[in-house]
Amino acid sequence: MARDLVRRLWSWEGLLLILLLVTLAYNVTRVTNFLTVSNQINLFQLGIEKAIVILAMAFVIISGEIDLSVASMMGLSAGVAAALFESGAPMPVAILVALGVGAGFGLLNGYFVAVVGLSSLAVTLAGYVGFRGLARLLVQDRSVGGFPDWFTNLGQRGMVGPLTLSIFIFAILAIVATVTLHFSGFGRLTYVIGNSAAVARFSGVSVARTKMVIFTISGLVSALAGVLMAARLGAVRASTAEGFELDIITVVLLGGVSIFGGVGSMIGVLLSTYLVLNLRNGLVIAGITGNTQTGIIGLLLILSVLLPNLAGRVRERLRRRQSDPSMRAPPADLSETARSQTAPG
Amino acid sequence: MTALRGEELVQVKAVTALAPRLEARGAGAMAGSAIAAEYMLESAPPALDATRPVLEMDRVSKRFGATQALDDVSLALHRREIHALLGENGAGKSTLIKIMTGIQQQDSGEIRIDDEVVRIASSQDAQRLGVAAIYQEPMIFPDLSVAENIFIGHRNRGNIVDRRRMEQEAEEVLARLDMHLDVGEPARGLTLAEQQTVEIAKAISLDVRVLIMDEPTASLSAHEVRQLFRIVFALRQQGVAVLFISHRMEEVFEIADRVTILRDGRWISTTPRADLTPAMAIKRMVGREVQELFRRERREPGAVRLSVRDLRREGVFQDISFELRAGEVLGFAGLVGAHRTDVGLALFGIAPADGGAVDLDGVPVKLTNPHDAMRLGIAYSTEDRRQLGLIMPLSIAANVSLPSLTRYLSPGGLVRRGAERAAAETFRQRLSIRAPSVDTPASSLSGGNQQKVVISKWLDTNPKVLILDEPTRGIDVGSKIEVHQLVDDLAAKGMAIILISSDLPEVLAMSDRILVMREGRQMAIFDHGDATQERVLSAAMGQSGDLFPDDEGLDRAAAAEAIAVIDQLVAGATVPDGANS
Repeated sequence: MARDLVRRLWSWEGLLLILLLVTLAYNVTRVTNFLTVSNQINLFQLGIEKAIVILAMAFVIISGEIDLSVASMMGLSAGVAAALFESGAPMPVAILVALGVGAGFGLLNGYFVAVVGLSSLAVTLAGYVGFRGLARLLVQDRSVGGFPDWFTNLGQRGMVGPLTLSIFIFAILAIVATVTLHFSGFGRLTYVIGNSAAVARFSGVSVARTKMVIFTISGLVSALAGVLMAARLGAVRASTAEGFELDIITVVLLGGVSIFGGVGSMIGVLLSTYLVLNLRNGLVIAGITGNTQTGIIGLLLILSVLLPNLAGRVRERLRRRQSDPSMRAPPADLSETARSQTAPG
Repeated sequence: MTALRGEELVQVKAVTALAPRLEARGAGAMAGSAIAAEYMLESAPPALDATRPVLEMDRVSKRFGATQALDDVSLALHRREIHALLGENGAGKSTLIKIMTGIQQQDSGEIRIDDEVVRIASSQDAQRLGVAAIYQEPMIFPDLSVAENIFIGHRNRGNIVDRRRMEQEAEEVLARLDMHLDVGEPARGLTLAEQQTVEIAKAISLDVRVLIMDEPTASLSAHEVRQLFRIVFALRQQGVAVLFISHRMEEVFEIADRVTILRDGRWISTTPRADLTPAMAIKRMVGREVQELFRRERREPGAVRLSVRDLRREGVFQDISFELRAGEVLGFAGLVGAHRTDVGLALFGIAPADGGAVDLDGVPVKLTNPHDAMRLGIAYSTEDRRQLGLIMPLSIAANVSLPSLTRYLSPGGLVRRGAERAAAETFRQRLSIRAPSVDTPASSLSGGNQQKVVISKWLDTNPKVLILDEPTRGIDVGSKIEVHQLVDDLAAKGMAIILISSDLPEVLAMSDRILVMREGRQMAIFDHGDATQERVLSAAMGQSGDLFPDDEGLDRAAAAEAIAVIDQLVAGATVPDGANS
């Protein structure tokens, strides 16, 4: 058992957990009542829209693509909802149209990537510029507000017990994303395509359809996050959520997802989401400001790329050293001995 | 006359396709010998024993893992000689060239240039020693001028390029080849043949003494081939030793002074061209002992499953027509570049055909993407299992279920792991995949077991037509026999199978009929009883198929040999040593 636990910790998720515990310990000792529900809710509220988009971004990156347009889409959907409301549409209609715009443009991204065959980096960079531009056309340099109370309450008051609607939605989506990625056929195809789109194609898998679904979800979830952000802030500017895309991608990569696709787990992504929230909080307590904070998170990101690489090499070296005599035994025997050794302990 | 005799062996369709080619070749050969004669009058090649070889490979061996690519091969190239190298796929030609040009190093044996032992450790070494190679696809920088391309390998020309001088020298070099190109123009606009000329000019400018030409004619038109041969003769006259590799037998017999034949990594013979006939050459290329041959029971095939008429893809293959019946194994034979795999890819919808018709069970079908092809009941097991066959980090079970994943989903879209593992476990036992469990990642399996996983994933789709592309390439002898057994079992159960294989004995042993391709064309379809290694290889190399018109004795001898080996196998239940090496 003990050995199993060690082996499990000796993975990226394990390292993330240790880092998280260290950061948590620091926060707990420095802030009274840090672990109370209301404090934790405040902590989450600060980055909840990013956290929601992170879940979708994990699918995009594991499938071997990238979506740089998510933050611009958040701004656009908030802008669409605000502009429609301003011109007299009922708020629920405005919200639905904003979500529709997100899904539609997501599908368009997916079409250009999966069917036309363009690079997702280029396509979604165009989205990054284009969606923000549309938001500017709609909102210009104003700040649109005056939403109905029920809408702003969604973002600010506890709706489900003490949880705000955003946190509740995040919790539900986190469970759905975890189950989908790790246990569903769709999640399987996401990994398969990220590992090798060629093998997927040669196995009769509809690679294009799967990718289009992923980009559509990314657009839809970003639009949802944009609407939730409008509710929380109570006002919408053209610059809403500007620059969020890099934070979002950073957290996903820090969670152990490979930028080349095919590798990563939702547990890692959730751990890294909570770690970054705590880390930023702790750094603020320690009096470390914006740019230095970003630098520290950047350093972590570099480590997240380097460490698994190094660990892999060390493990390979160890395996080779051990394998020469032992690998001659049939593998079945190996697992037998392994089992008998772990049983008493 | 030729065509008439060929009719005994080759199906009528193949013969009619051949007839015009034969005439064309006759005319071409005459023109070629005229050119040859012209040069030989000026300077006939000197008697070989009068000169020492320029380059000598002495008992060179090279091993890749379990494969002995070259085994004690010796080869001597003389000044003013065009030396042809012949051999089947995997005979060791490519390895030999790579060693001569410093891309790979021999494990043992030595290379001598002008009687001095040399080490060719890099392509720079090869260049310094005057050994150069040109390939089917020239390596040209399209944005540089012709002159710049010719002199790109020169390092000691100072820092400032004197463009005028360079262009003048480039023209001089090309003139030595009797070629005239605008040397100031970018190479982009050149035809393939002109690009090859530039490559040759590049070699000459570096004082080449040994020029290796690896299938230089494969993508050239007949006229361009003539032009290239003129250049080759010019090079010989200037004292260069040319090593010429081609799968076109008629070209070899047209220009070679001597012919060396390799088989299974071993040197078989080096003979002056005059002492060799195409029939002799082919016999030597295939004259291996018959071993590890699988004996299939011949059964009466069922109804026509797949009917293919005039299938073609522009610039890749054309006029492919055949019928495939339930329970039948149709072998696809041919040399590298025959485009057999492309026919398989077209039938699986990955690289769809642009013309022709395909019927499946009598119903016309459109095969435009692999997903649809799979749903219609066509499966294609790739020749490149590492890059295209398996998701390496995923388990055996996940790889097996991939094509038919929808069958393993619950109504909520979740993967039913239990059902998935059970299915994989069935295949693990049926195909004896050696792995601790079906959770083992595909990456940790041996080549043979990976191949079985690839086949399993297609069997799991329950296909009507199974296309196996090189199912036994690079796998151990034990697995190979198991794959053969499996193919036989599947056929017995009524599956229609296309077996694409470069392993000629395998195709002969496993197939009910054999379709032979050459450079994208269907050359012949042989029935099992009529097919011999010699006949298939003749067709694959563009011979008319009349080289062995009534060589009954040959068949009988081969059959007797095969039966002896099989009896030995069955009796001893062991595999002969060194098989597949």
